[in-house]
Order: sequence, then C-alpha cells, then structure tokens
Amino acid sequence: MRPWKSLTVVAILLSGLAARAPAASPPEPVTMKVTPSVISMGTFYSGARVHVEGTVPQASDVIIDVRGPETIEVFNKVGRAGPIWVNTGKVSISGIPTLLLVFSTRPVHNCLCRSEIDRCELDAAAIKSKIKIEPRAMASEVVADEFLKLKYRQKSYQLANTGIQMEDPAEVGQHYTLDFIWPKNAAPGTYVVRVCACQGGNVEDSLEAPLKVVEVGFPAMIADLAKDRPATYGIISVVVAVLAGFGIDFITTRIFKKKISAH
Amino acid sequence: MPVFLPVAGISISLPLLVGVGALIGFLSGLFGVGGGFLLTPILMLVGIPPTVAAASDSCQIIATSSSGTAAHSRMGNVDVKLGTVLLLGGLAGGAVGVRIIRVLLGLGDADLAIKLTYVIVLSGIGGYMFWESLTSLKRGALEMRVPHLARGRDILSRLPFQMDFPRSKVRHSVVIPLLLGGLVGVLAAIMGVGGGFIMIPMMVYLLWTPMHVAVGTSLFQILFTCAGVTFMQAQTNHTVDLLLALLLAAGSTIGVQVGARMSRLLRGDQLRILLALLVLLVTARMVFGLARTPRSLLRPADEHGGAGKMHLVRHVAVHRALPNTTRN
Repeated sequence: MRPWKSLTVVAILLSGLAARAPAASPPEPVTMKVTPSVISMGTFYSGARVHVEGTVPQASDVIIDVRGPETIEVFNKVGRAGPIWVNTGKVSISGIPTLLLVFSTRPVHNCLCRSEIDRCELDAAAIKSKIKIEPRAMASEVVADEFLKLKYRQKSYQLANTGIQMEDPAEVGQHYTLDFIWPKNAAPGTYVVRVCACQGGNVEDSLEAPLKVVEVGFPAMIADLAKDRPATYGIISVVVAVLAGFGIDFITTRIFKKKISAH
Repeated sequence: MPVFLPVAGISISLPLLVGVGALIGFLSGLFGVGGGFLLTPILMLVGIPPTVAAASDSCQIIATSSSGTAAHSRMGNVDVKLGTVLLLGGLAGGAVGVRIIRVLLGLGDADLAIKLTYVIVLSGIGGYMFWESLTSLKRGALEMRVPHLARGRDILSRLPFQMDFPRSKVRHSVVIPLLLGGLVGVLAAIMGVGGGFIMIPMMVYLLWTPMHVAVGTSLFQILFTCAGVTFMQAQTNHTVDLLLALLLAAGSTIGVQVGARMSRLLRGDQLRILLALLVLLVTARMVFGLARTPRSLLRPADEHGGAGKMHLVRHVAVHRALPNTTRN
C-alpha cells in the first residue's frame, strides 16, 4: 500500500471517530417537583409534610428556600419606665418575607459567597440588611434583632442549613430530595419554593415553583362569610351562640332531671 | 386532635379549647362573671391572635351567659327589671368608654392606660370584697348586707325616681343603677371585657342586691352586651371566629351549668371571698406582667382593636399568586 493511501485511510477513520464522538454536552438542567403543590386547610388541618425532589448538575450544592410574600407589620416598641415596661412608640417593619424556610446540603456560607447570599437573602445577616424600619429614628440593630427573634419563635423563619439528601450521581445530573413539615400556623396564600444549584460560590441555576395554601370546606365557608358578608356573619354568630347556650341548657336540664328522678 | 380555626388562621388542639371553655364556664356559673377577663389572656397564651381572641370571647360569652341566664332564671335569680336598667346605663357608658379609648389612642399609650385601669379597679374591688367577706365569714353571718354602707341608704332613698325591684327585694332611685351601669360600661369598654366582675361587687355593695340575684342578673345583662359587641366586631374588624367561639362554648355551657348548681351549695359570703381571691389573682398577674422583662421588645400593635394582621398577610399573599413554575 502506498503511503498516501495509508494516510487517507487513517484520516477517514479518524474523521469517522470524530463524527461518532459526543459533542460538548449542554449543562444539565435543574428540575424540581413539589408534593403536594396545594396544601388544603380543612377542619382538622394541622400542618402538612412537604416533599421536594429533582435534579441538579453534578457536583453542585443545593439550597432550597420557601418564602412568603412581603408585608408590612406594625409593632409597639417596649421600653422600661421606672418599675414597669411601657410602649415607647410604634415601629413599622417591611421589606422582608412573612415566611422564610431555608434548607441546604451544607451550611449556606460554605456553598455561596457573601454577595450571592445577600442577593438571594438566604441568612439572617442578609435578611437584616433588607429590613425597612419606619420611622427611621426608631431603626436600630436591636429592633431588627428583636424582629428576627420573634419570627424564629413563631417558626415563621427556619434557617436549617441542612435537610437536603443527595443521591449518587446519575447519568443526567444528581438527584436530591427534601422532606419538611409545613408550619401549621402559616397563613393561606401562595408561597414560592426555589431551588438553587450552587458551584464555586455562585448560584449557577435556579428554579421556582408556587406552593399554594388554601382553606377548603367548612373553614373556607366561614372565612369567606366573615370577610364578604360581615353583617350577616355577625347576626349568624349571635343567633348560633344563643341557640347553642339554650340548647345545652335544655339538654343538661333533662340530664339532671333524669338523675334526680332516678334517685 | 387538632382543629383549624378559619378566622384565626391557626390549627389548635380541640380538647384544649373545650377544656378551657369548661373551666371558664364553671367560673361564670359560679360567680356570674362572663369570664372574658380570664379567657382572653389564656387564648393569647395558646397562640390565638389578640384581636381574634377578644372578639371570639364575646361570641362564646353569649352562649355561656344565655345558658347561665336560663339556669339562674329557673332558680329565680334573675331580676329582669334591674338588669334592663343596668343594661341601658351600660350601653350609654360603653359608648362613652369607646370615645375615651379613641382619645387615649390619639394621645399614644392606650395600652398602659388600660392595664393601669385594670390594676387599680381590680385591686380596689378585689381587696375590698376580700376584706368584707372575711369579716362576714368570721362573724358567721349568713347573708351580710354591709352595715356601714347601709348608712348611705338614707341619702340614696331621698333621690328622685324611686323604684321597686321586687326580685332583689330592694327599693331605690332608678338613677343609681343607671349611673352604676354607665360606670361599668365605661370601664368595660376601656378594659375590653363584659364587666361582670365589676358589676357583681357593685350590685352587692351599692345596690344591696342579694349575691345570688346579682349573679343571675349580671349574666342576663352580659348576654345583651356581648351580643352587641360580637355583631360590631364581626362587622367592623372581621375578627369573630365562630368555630373557636362554638368550641369554647361547648365546654363553657356545660361548665356554667355545673357552676350555677354549685353556687347554690355555697353561702353568699363564701362566693364573694372566692371571687375576691380570683380577682386579686388576676390583678397580681397583671402587676407581674407590667414589671417582668418582656420576652420581646416588640409587641403586635393590634392587641386592642383594629383589623387583624393575618388579614393583611392573606390579602397580600393572594395578590402575589404565581401562575406556574418559573425559571430564573
């Protein structure tokens, strides 16, 4: 075989191999499934177990946060006046979510750099920097700290820094799961669940999904009536309470009479 | 077993609510008090928002007091005539009290004013009632009529519009129960309670009403006062939780029947000293609450009225609904 023929064959084989080799793979997408996607608050509701699962690119850290809408909360600030504690003024606090639950594979500050934690509002320092306190004269570190303490006590804020389970890397990304107890006293509304895939101290990709909490059945009926037809609701409340009182009186009187006559 | 309260927006133990209701009902039947001054703090302690606790209390007191009024009425303990006059005075006084609250809110610290009013009124009434009942018990009197106050009877009997109250076996000017009802109405509005624990000592010591009749008549008057308050709270603040009220009422209406029957086993002075001790206990708790370092330097600002915070949260949440999964 002549040398140029050998070279041609080698070139054809190499080009064939090159054609068969995979192209530079696209980044694996972040996926997420929240179960249930709607939490129903029925008569015997006492919180719910929420399951989150999905995939992230391999070698990523995962942070999942659940947050409620922003609102304005008004408080009386308490101070000492002699032997007693009195209100020293009103403070209005806004700019932060009503509910914040943060879960991660490792402590958040090990997954992300400071600027990313602040941007995504994922720890107490980041939240404190977002708090807006009015009037400004009352704004202080103490008020912000007290507000956060109150939120932790109400279990509206839970910065767990753990909780996410990672499974062995699969062909497409890495599988994660998270199970957590939904705070039973969280108000009805739409909350946002966000998963962040973190690499090299940055959020590489993220995905959001809504988690709805709705009243259903008898509680929904009562709540709607109270809100939409307050006068009718007021009259119904009075009439039902009076009937309940006289009804119980009637029943207990019968019971006591029977006991007396039995003796 | 948990139950979800639709207006309070929280889940809470059902047996706990019924048990709390039964305890308050028992005290209500025994002493003729609505129980609001005890129940509101207890409900706040178990996590009910203050505005919902206060408004739903009024609703459950309707059930308790209607049950108690029926039980006392059968025993001849309700003076409808006296109760009606007190109620008219109470309604007028309540309107004045609401205006006073508005002025206090405008001035700033209504919360402190309310708490100090509680401490002063309760310690005064409780202290006097305790001392008087103790004296009466020591003497072994069956139904003492406060002899040193009887001196004032001559003066009061000269007032115009004298009226007989046969059920209470007293005769005095209609002006006195009207003014008394008015005073209790003012205090009840400022303190945010039905006013039974103020009304009963006032009826016993100033109107010379027998203790058992004072208890039945007070329940009769409280029934109407709380009906008005419940309607207004439902219409204005949307804070009446009917389910909460009914669960409390389920316990309290049974408790009040037991309390009303037990009240017949005790003498008037024995009932008075027990009520005095209860009032003094509540006063001591309030004084302790004022002096104790609070758990938090921030207190929700809607403890004494105004729309519940929960409704604001719910309103905002609904308007931020996200349609679908979104990628950033």
